[in-house]
Amino acid sequence: MYDMSLLKPLKLIRIARRAGVVTVRYPYQPPLITDEFRGRIVIDAKKCIGCGACVNVCPSNALTLIDDGDKRILNYFIGRCIYCGRCADVCPVNAITISKEFELATDKIENLNSRVVHQKSTCCSCGEERVATEKMISYVVSRVPVSEAYAHMGSNCRKRRFVEGLMLGRGMLHVETEK
Amino acid sequence: MVDVEPRLEDVEKIRKELEVKLGNIARRIEYVSGAGLIVEVPKDSIRDTVKVVHDELDAYLRVIAGVDERPIKGVFSSYYVFGLDNIGLNIIITTYMDSENPSISTIADIAPSADWYELEMYDLLGIRVENRQLYRFVLPEDWPEGLYPLRKDVAHNIRPPPTPAEKGVITGPRIPVGPYHPALHEPEYFELYVEGERVVDVRYNGFHVHRGIEKLGESRFTYQQVPFLAERICGICGFVHSVCYTQAVENAAKIEVPERAEFIRSIILEVERLHSHLLWVGVACHLLGYDAGFMHAWRIREKTMVLAELLTGSRKTYGINLIGGVRKDINRDKIDTVLKTIKWVEDEFRKLVEVITSVPQVVKRASGTGILPRHEARRYSVVGPVARASGLNRDVRKDYPYAAYKYVSFKVPVYTEGDNLARLLVRVDEIFESINIIRQLLDQLPSGSIMAEDIEIPEGKIGVSSVEAPRGEDIHLVITGKGRPYRWRVRAPTYQNIPALKVMLKDAPLADAPLTIASIDPCFSCTDRVIVVDVSTRKRKIISLRKLVKLEGNGCMI
Amino acid sequence: MSKQRNELLEALKALKKSVWVFHLNTGSCNACDIEILDVLTPYFDVERFGIKLVASPRHADLVLLTGPITRKTLPKVVNTLRAVPRPRLVLAIGACAVGGGIWYDSYSVIGGVEALKKVLEENGVEIDKLVYVPGCPARPEAIIYGVAVLLGLVKPKVKAEVIEAK
Repeated sequence: MYDMSLLKPLKLIRIARRAGVVTVRYPYQPPLITDEFRGRIVIDAKKCIGCGACVNVCPSNALTLIDDGDKRILNYFIGRCIYCGRCADVCPVNAITISKEFELATDKIENLNSRVVHQKSTCCSCGEERVATEKMISYVVSRVPVSEAYAHMGSNCRKRRFVEGLMLGRGMLHVETEK
Repeated sequence: MVDVEPRLEDVEKIRKELEVKLGNIARRIEYVSGAGLIVEVPKDSIRDTVKVVHDELDAYLRVIAGVDERPIKGVFSSYYVFGLDNIGLNIIITTYMDSENPSISTIADIAPSADWYELEMYDLLGIRVENRQLYRFVLPEDWPEGLYPLRKDVAHNIRPPPTPAEKGVITGPRIPVGPYHPALHEPEYFELYVEGERVVDVRYNGFHVHRGIEKLGESRFTYQQVPFLAERICGICGFVHSVCYTQAVENAAKIEVPERAEFIRSIILEVERLHSHLLWVGVACHLLGYDAGFMHAWRIREKTMVLAELLTGSRKTYGINLIGGVRKDINRDKIDTVLKTIKWVEDEFRKLVEVITSVPQVVKRASGTGILPRHEARRYSVVGPVARASGLNRDVRKDYPYAAYKYVSFKVPVYTEGDNLARLLVRVDEIFESINIIRQLLDQLPSGSIMAEDIEIPEGKIGVSSVEAPRGEDIHLVITGKGRPYRWRVRAPTYQNIPALKVMLKDAPLADAPLTIASIDPCFSCTDRVIVVDVSTRKRKIISLRKLVKLEGNGCMI
Repeated sequence: MSKQRNELLEALKALKKSVWVFHLNTGSCNACDIEILDVLTPYFDVERFGIKLVASPRHADLVLLTGPITRKTLPKVVNTLRAVPRPRLVLAIGACAVGGGIWYDSYSVIGGVEALKKVLEENGVEIDKLVYVPGCPARPEAIIYGVAVLLGLVKPKVKAEVIEAK
């Protein structure tokens, strides 16, 4: 009679019927996302101190630091981000959180840039521009027993002050004391 | 811990044998743990040394890496890595060439699989290989002569001016980056030389996806950033590259990785193997015209993608691997989900395989085509399911054990026919073995931390590591430098398998070509288009693969 | 010129559904490409919108471009885009296509669609609408969202922000 093995492929119909309709009708139904999904990052501008640890660790340089006059800008380019989450790992103040957002399509590429603007700090005694931002200095002062005045000084001025202090102590320097 | 070392008695035996055979040639023969037995010879004796190692000791050629060591030692050097599978030992032959006009003689007649490595050495480093034909291989045709990107005095971001659109060389209906339904293609193509309906020769014109990864890893990236780069070498088996790189550095620097991290790495590797093989089964079905099989295989595969996202945070390019361990842990809930999912996958896939292997057209088209005989497979040193389907019992998880594979027991499926059906059956068996391995690993998962503390990486050490990717053996060689690797050599499995296509496609009917090419599972499942050159009429015809698939008549209707 | 542009915009309005797409891989790692393929499979099933893959750029309405555009593929990419009939719509999928990806400054890579636009201008090939879909790899749902943005069915959500750190 008929070769029954030829009917074996028809078992697919039973498999298909058992599986049913599996389509997740996005966007009318929620997407297939788990709790662990890593979407774009969100930088909390209140916490960020502009230290640049995230910039150093980002493998694709999606996070960059740009100097613009007396401002230092942390630029996050969503277009090149690889969603690895290393920046959130290394941020010392936990300013970076990983959200679950993935609906990031746009027709204007400028919209993919997100910036946090910091004020650069200058040396309080000579006015020279420094590497740190104002918020970085406040962060250091709140954790380390240094005075605000010391923290606001540039490294050249600090060295000068240190040497002057030594020379004063050994009587090699005369300082006009204020009356 | 570092990769499992071969037994010291075996190493001593081989060392003594080499001393006897090469005593007057070799400058030194030394065992470096984490790499292998280093044999340093002057460059004029390279051919004799390779003859001893490849022919007399019967070692497989694994990878050849050229290195620009002029800043450190003032010479160019090259490392020929051979492997003895039965004891799990690498034999690394190193030799030096002078820095002005580096040149070395070819070994491609002794070990045919060395062909591509030598071309690459010339293309990227400028080391002339004598007594053979040299042509542009990796870099594009319009790249200026004399500019070798992997040399240390060339920056990684140089941009010699690009060419505008091709002008007039080959006109006609040429759409070189043609797609192919279901468009799983990559821009490379094979040139098939035919006589009537029979294929007589095949040439591979590729490396369109060359992105300069090795150069980037040596210039812009630091040690801990490279795993993310390595993961994007391939989007289907990316985690394999990431694990292989971190293991190579850990071998070189003798870093102890916590056991829990090794288990987690192995579990994710097996999950990746599941998704990759299910992908391949779907694509193979599609190429045979059996679209229903394609859809069902990918329906089953989707659950593994969601599982990967639950375990690592991303559907693909997981990003959880770092030197010294992993970033994400597995808790009790996740373990339960994993077990449930793989049980579902196992049941569904078993039913699907029963159907696929009973469809008469599928079986007839796949069996007896694309045959790779055992001795040819040995000559070309093929790897992975291609080797296992031709009777070679090669599996890196058993021969050079790494991560947590020494704690599990599993079978290695070996078939002897060497045709397309054998390669399909090997992969089907591997899916069931993977599920078995995941269950064993989850059972034995130890507690502890997932990241090593205080990682220090000394300079100037060499480390070699290999991992069994879904497509075969993937091998990385790392020479450590300051803050970043000094030399990082990646050899993906498909690189080793494509030259064997010449044998598989010879004298085969043209209509079998798409399935044969796809059966080695090129890491970009396949040729978008083929150029068919009719040798007798000397006419070139461009056929899209879709038409080639249809040449066999309509596929199965179910 | 503006009359032709108006005609093109009118033609674009008619393309609300059932776009025919062509997949162009310019050297990507394939993760975005299998996600594009995934969009066709039962879980996401984009064919319910009438979208289908075509074999030739001459039949395509929309080009799905992935990959950072390597040097070797550049002339072929230009040729392929030239073969697409107007209105030319391009969807740049993935971190590589949008910004050059993790290897944006390598010697072998042009650097994503931004750099490609300059080359296309030199060769007289105009793109009428270009939408960027970031992601590494871009999720299938993100790709569907990107197609919807390109067809004008939804407004893009992401906006440039400049916040002062206080």
